[in-house]
Amino acid sequence: MYFYLTLNEDGDVGYTFNKEMDRLSSKAGCLKIPLPLGVIQSVQIQMTKFKNQRCFGLRRNRHERIKSELCRVLNSRDWDVPNVSWEKDFVSLTSEMSASTAGKGDEKGPVFQSFDRLVRGRQLSWEDLKILAHELKCHEETILQFAQINVAEKKAEWIPAVLRQGEDWQCQRCGEKNINEWPSFYGRAGTCLSCKSLGSSTSLKAIYRDYRSLLGNSEKVDFRPHWKLTEAQRLAGEEILDFLKDSSEPKALLWAACGSGKTEVCFPSAAWALEQGKSVLFAAPRQDVINDVAPRLKRDFPGVDIQVLTGSGPIKFQKGRMVLATTHQVLRFWQAFDLIVLDEMDAFPYRGNGALEWGLKHALRSNGKLLYLTATPSPDGLKEVYLRKMRLIRLPARHHRFPLPVPIIERSSQEFDPERNPPSLKRGRFESLRHEGQILVFVPKISWLQPWINRFRQGFPEWEIDGSYSSDRERSVKLENLRQGKFDLFLSTTILERGITLEGIQVVVLGADHPVFDERALVQMAGRVGRTRKNPGGNILFMAHLETTAMKKAIRWIEDQNRLALKKGLID
Amino acid sequence: MNELVKEGFKIIRALWYSEKYGCALCGGYPGPICPNCSEELLHPELSRCLRCGKLIAQERVICTDCSEGRGPKHLKKVIAWGHYTGCLKEFIQDVKFGANPMRMMQISRPLADWAIKELPLVDGILAVPMHSARLAERGFNQAEVIASRIHWELGLPILQGVKRVKATPPQVSLSRQERLLNLKDAFALQGKEPFKGRSVWVIDDVTTTGSTLDAVAEVLYEGGAKEVYGLCLAAGFEKVLVPEFD
Repeated sequence: MYFYLTLNEDGDVGYTFNKEMDRLSSKAGCLKIPLPLGVIQSVQIQMTKFKNQRCFGLRRNRHERIKSELCRVLNSRDWDVPNVSWEKDFVSLTSEMSASTAGKGDEKGPVFQSFDRLVRGRQLSWEDLKILAHELKCHEETILQFAQINVAEKKAEWIPAVLRQGEDWQCQRCGEKNINEWPSFYGRAGTCLSCKSLGSSTSLKAIYRDYRSLLGNSEKVDFRPHWKLTEAQRLAGEEILDFLKDSSEPKALLWAACGSGKTEVCFPSAAWALEQGKSVLFAAPRQDVINDVAPRLKRDFPGVDIQVLTGSGPIKFQKGRMVLATTHQVLRFWQAFDLIVLDEMDAFPYRGNGALEWGLKHALRSNGKLLYLTATPSPDGLKEVYLRKMRLIRLPARHHRFPLPVPIIERSSQEFDPERNPPSLKRGRFESLRHEGQILVFVPKISWLQPWINRFRQGFPEWEIDGSYSSDRERSVKLENLRQGKFDLFLSTTILERGITLEGIQVVVLGADHPVFDERALVQMAGRVGRTRKNPGGNILFMAHLETTAMKKAIRWIEDQNRLALKKGLID
Repeated sequence: MNELVKEGFKIIRALWYSEKYGCALCGGYPGPICPNCSEELLHPELSRCLRCGKLIAQERVICTDCSEGRGPKHLKKVIAWGHYTGCLKEFIQDVKFGANPMRMMQISRPLADWAIKELPLVDGILAVPMHSARLAERGFNQAEVIASRIHWELGLPILQGVKRVKATPPQVSLSRQERLLNLKDAFALQGKEPFKGRSVWVIDDVTTTGSTLDAVAEVLYEGGAKEVYGLCLAAGFEKVLVPEFD
């Protein structure tokens, strides 16, 4: 995507999108060679400096001097463009102005209206705009023209996707500073590799950044919850609302027990925010969570437009003030939200990913509120709580008023690594577990999966046994079968550790002492058990050779939640 | 202090472990090209069509298209490093459309080693030029990037003197016939006989029919070149049923 450098009568350097279509307020010269926005901006800076430093005599003389300085600046760049001269490379734009007004009729047409609605609060690359053109069934050129109208009206801006400040680069989409530099036709260029999954971001490209807030379909918010908040949820919900109303605290952490319904707790607060005319983002690091929450949100907010944005979602541009998106998609928003609820802040890929964290921060409007939800807070999160930079809200009990099942450690004399002569399966132990429900077995590594599936199949030939891992092509089919209770025993890597509710499930962690299982993973896996009213209890076995700190800590966290819940009278 | 300790550990780690690079194409081990990618994509056991560089069965010399006179006419020999599919295709597309030319560095060594085995030594190398409008759009010419890596690895001088004067639609979108027409008068010499008496490798990223390379070669011979060879990163794979005789 390229721009044309312009020089108006006052000697100001500007740019236009298309030599033919742009409306310029005064007579201007336009460089015929298209340039990336970043190059034009650096020329702009140099020219402003020049203008401010010199005092000029005659007006005519002044314009000539500015022109020659502009050519000098352009020619002094380390690029491959042959010598630029005013006569050869610039055209006057005044003669084409009448032709350019032809496109104006579309401006307030229905397509423009829908474009205008969809781009509010967004920051979009040229690839994104092309998708939008496709979704609106109009020409790519038309979309650019629309974008330019908003830019001209100062509602939005074009900015270089990767910006050079002195010797440093920064990606304007994800904030990454570690930029891959390379020599381009226009001199040094930089490509950001950390947000590559959203399409390439380079200093030669520009992004469209819209500064307006999102629009909803109606001011009246129809919130009809299909459930009743439990005592524990009501208390936490009130505290969240209190946090939203209190302008002094920007961040809060909701530390909830697994399966306590932390997502729903936020619904009344979201409804309140929407009623206040605010926009709300519900973000999660992974698609499964979004796909799980979307139907619940749509059911409880009938008549409210909700955008559901994931990498594989079919429609990329939707309307509504309530947005449900994966953390990667959040990079396509700019200062759009008054309230951001981030579910599972400690989960991959959000945790430790600077780009996603940056994106979330910049998707928040000034004075916006950030609410983190987690069952297993990260050390960084807890540190902020202890330093009183973040409010802590606890939700220690599940809706059924039963305590969380506490894991039992079962140690064996051998390691569970299938390559190191693992212990034989205790048939009776597994049969008694099966008696209470389906068994979900977690293993720490993909390479452990198949050997253990084989061992279980040998040990229990009459059982239906299978397993899955992250890149398994049949994953979704297998998970659906698991939900329907078609397996007696199912093995998995940590992909199933979060966000899934299975009726009457019993959990076994094989090799719980493996270093990949930290206390967070263990708590999450234990959290799969006893989530429903029908089956509020269950068993969790940590099968291990050694007893690690992570295992002890996980058990302590669960017991702590139970103790707190008992103290508050939230469990019986 | 904490930062200092971290940096210290980094240095110790750097001394202790030699840094391991994975496969440039798939990330597997050992690098720079893992055995799996080499077998699946580079097919060192297969021949290349002498005329268009396409991957063909071991016992063949030229592909069916070329044997029926539909291939390039001017080049002495064309070779393509690998099959344009899978990870190699992704790699080339990431370099081109993902604005990631530096990634080409990862394959320059194996590519250059292979090229110098397959092609005779020449006086210089020439990247297929790109039209200025396309160059302005992309910011770089991927063929030039490959050429500069070959220059770096083998020390062969980079030649200039051919310009793309016609902006042509990408060859990908066209049929064989259209491709040939598309390139008519697309390239022109700059200066007088700049290639006199020289032998040249013409370098491009992907070839299908070899017509781009051929068009450049034609211009080079006009400029007095002695011998012109073609080198590409990737090409198609001719799958023909070899007639069996009982």
